[in-house]
Amino acid sequence: MLGKLDWSAIPFDQPIPLIAGAIVLVAILAVLIWVVVKGHLPYLWHEWITSVDHKRIGVMYILLASVMLLRGGSDAIMMRVQQAIAYQSNGFLPPEHYNQIFSAHGTIMIFFVAMPFVIGLMNLIVPLQLGVRDVAFPTLNSVGFWLTATGALLVNLSLVIGEFARTGWLAFPPLSGLSYSPGVGVDYYAWSLQISGVGTLVAGINLVTTVLKLRTKGMNYLRMPMFCWTTLASNLLIVAAFPILTATLAMLLLDRYLGFHFFTNEAGGNVMMFMNLIWAWGHPEVYILVLPAFGIFSEVVSTFSGKALFGYRSMVLATMAICVISFMVWLHHFFTMGAGPDVNAIFGIASMIIAVPTGVKIYNWLFTMYGGRIRFATPMLWAVGFMVTFIIGGLTGVLVAVPPADFMLHNSMFLVAHFHNVIIGGVLFGAFAGFEYWFPKAFGFRLDERWGKLAFWFTFLGFYVTFLPLYIAGMLGMTRRLQHYDVAAWRPWMFIAAFGMLILSIGVICQIMQLVVSIRNREALRDRTGDPWDGRSLEWATSSPPPVFNFAFHPDVRGEDAYWDMKSRAQQQSLEHEAPEYQDIEMPRNSPTGFICAFFATIMGFALIWHIWWMVILGGIGAFATFVVFAWRDHDEYVIPAAEVARIDRVNLEERRSLVSMAGAL
Amino acid sequence: MSDQAHVPASHDLAPGDEEQHSVGARIVGYVVGLALALLLTATSFFIAGTDLVWQPSIPVALIVLAIAQMGVHLVFFLHITTGPDNTNNVLALAFGLLVVFLVVGGTVWIMGHLNANMPPMDQIMKTRM
Repeated sequence: MLGKLDWSAIPFDQPIPLIAGAIVLVAILAVLIWVVVKGHLPYLWHEWITSVDHKRIGVMYILLASVMLLRGGSDAIMMRVQQAIAYQSNGFLPPEHYNQIFSAHGTIMIFFVAMPFVIGLMNLIVPLQLGVRDVAFPTLNSVGFWLTATGALLVNLSLVIGEFARTGWLAFPPLSGLSYSPGVGVDYYAWSLQISGVGTLVAGINLVTTVLKLRTKGMNYLRMPMFCWTTLASNLLIVAAFPILTATLAMLLLDRYLGFHFFTNEAGGNVMMFMNLIWAWGHPEVYILVLPAFGIFSEVVSTFSGKALFGYRSMVLATMAICVISFMVWLHHFFTMGAGPDVNAIFGIASMIIAVPTGVKIYNWLFTMYGGRIRFATPMLWAVGFMVTFIIGGLTGVLVAVPPADFMLHNSMFLVAHFHNVIIGGVLFGAFAGFEYWFPKAFGFRLDERWGKLAFWFTFLGFYVTFLPLYIAGMLGMTRRLQHYDVAAWRPWMFIAAFGMLILSIGVICQIMQLVVSIRNREALRDRTGDPWDGRSLEWATSSPPPVFNFAFHPDVRGEDAYWDMKSRAQQQSLEHEAPEYQDIEMPRNSPTGFICAFFATIMGFALIWHIWWMVILGGIGAFATFVVFAWRDHDEYVIPAAEVARIDRVNLEERRSLVSMAGAL
Repeated sequence: MSDQAHVPASHDLAPGDEEQHSVGARIVGYVVGLALALLLTATSFFIAGTDLVWQPSIPVALIVLAIAQMGVHLVFFLHITTGPDNTNNVLALAFGLLVVFLVVGGTVWIMGHLNANMPPMDQIMKTRM
């Protein structure tokens, strides 16, 4: 009846996951009860859960990423503490639990923190920057988000029901095969990634189509803000690379469920094929994550330097070059595994070449700052911190791109330090910069600068104190994923790294404090103009938060830096649209399709993991029926009457006029 | 969202959208495509079983016919043309082909080297015997 599921699935003998699970459960229950008692449920359902508004979906993506960041971060703290105390002892985490933690940490940080964070920011901002009212496929967008949430839910479920994979974040066979991992851990891993992978692919298709097909009047490709370009490149990579991941995991699942032999050691299987395919997805994946971050930094650096982006066209070229070259370097993840000198040399050279367009970008940001009036607001701090950190990470990356050096450093703590250096310094700093920069746009009030700067400095310092020692430990020969060790020379560095983790955690607490303080002082921090940073692109041309239709009129773009251009013209002439003629606006209707689909996908995923076949069929039928009901809908749009548009827009226009006249008086 | 197509519709087609042709012209297009596709399919089956051509050339001939078949499908059924309205579709196809070429070609190359350097255990045993 319940497949492999019985009471032994609950880890009663392991206090840590049980207590953590209980706390999370109580917290979720408390929030749910609070929501129901306060009567917020209809609001949540109509305004958020069923919303197909790209801004709302973007915010929900970022919320999911933030919550999962705390989960992945707690895993990180446990690992650092374990390695600090596990010198000639077993530490406080038994090996099988430690293995689950490092696997969960990697999986969560990449798939459920970095991915939703950047996809959320792209969703939130790209349609605004393009000057359009919505994304290309609003309901599909909602489906994509909820499927990602399903994946996150399944990963967290493994904490209390069953176990998670003990195989590392990419689950290499034969370790992840049935003979070495007979439990449900790898199945949790694979099914949550399959389901959230569909969500990511859907988001990618949606954003590519949005950038290619929906742009406002005059928004040529070479007038798009840099963030739109990097969004295009990143989502092209999603569309091209994620099917490889899906196919690879599908083959692994066939091996595990139906006795196939794609990646087994017997019957003609080849484990190296998994290695090859997973990295053919895995390397584009890191550029999927970091390209949007590059876009965010481009926006931030240019806004806070008060200058147009230096070398816009070279930046576009560099972005698209990275987009293509990222598909030519994947073997550098397994230089040591026997491909031989010819193959290694070519892939080593390609890996060094991809550093060139990245270097072009760094110089462009530096030259954008050069001669500018730089304001060191919090987003700009993250951007500058990124440049310093990312250069160090990039240099160590070029070092490990040299095959002979890689033979020394492969799978060492040096490598761990390198990829944290680029992912934290690149993606996470970018996500935080974007968060600070666009928060006023999303919610209508700025974030507290004092706590923001504290958060930056603690995170920045904490990062170096945590990860520079790992470089040294790697040089001293420490390999990654060690549950305990006997080498005295490594120990001091593990202590320092654990101390760094403490500083990093203070940074995270500062960030939470910043949110709390800002929400409390939101009236004082209110952004009435819609343009708190003196911005340059179109998202600042509408109010904060933007109305559901984003723009009452489609902005008319006449050059790069569209909004900057409009502002400079508006100061000379009177404002355009003196008595604008408002028109009815059609917007897509809310739809619970995404939520219901994800509900059934969760049931199906859980049933697949536990081999509960009747439930698999039930979930599958449910998800398909939801799709059919949506496909047969009659009305999918509603009309906002012109009078309502006028009422909303006039408020914004008044604020803006007073701003421009004030600037004129100065 | 109907008012967002600022570029004239005839110059901005989504994949699968039809240009404004008369029904007759479109039917002719599909019939020609169908005939070509059937012809290529029939030829492939014929070539595979015949001894009229030099035997070792048969795989090459089948590959050529398969590529021609893809071309017929792209032009007549998926409407990939060289017109200015089709730039996005052509670029998407080119990008897809490039990625497939890189991944498949790279995989064949890598796996070949891996197999040569690290043959499976039973082969090593055989060479040592």
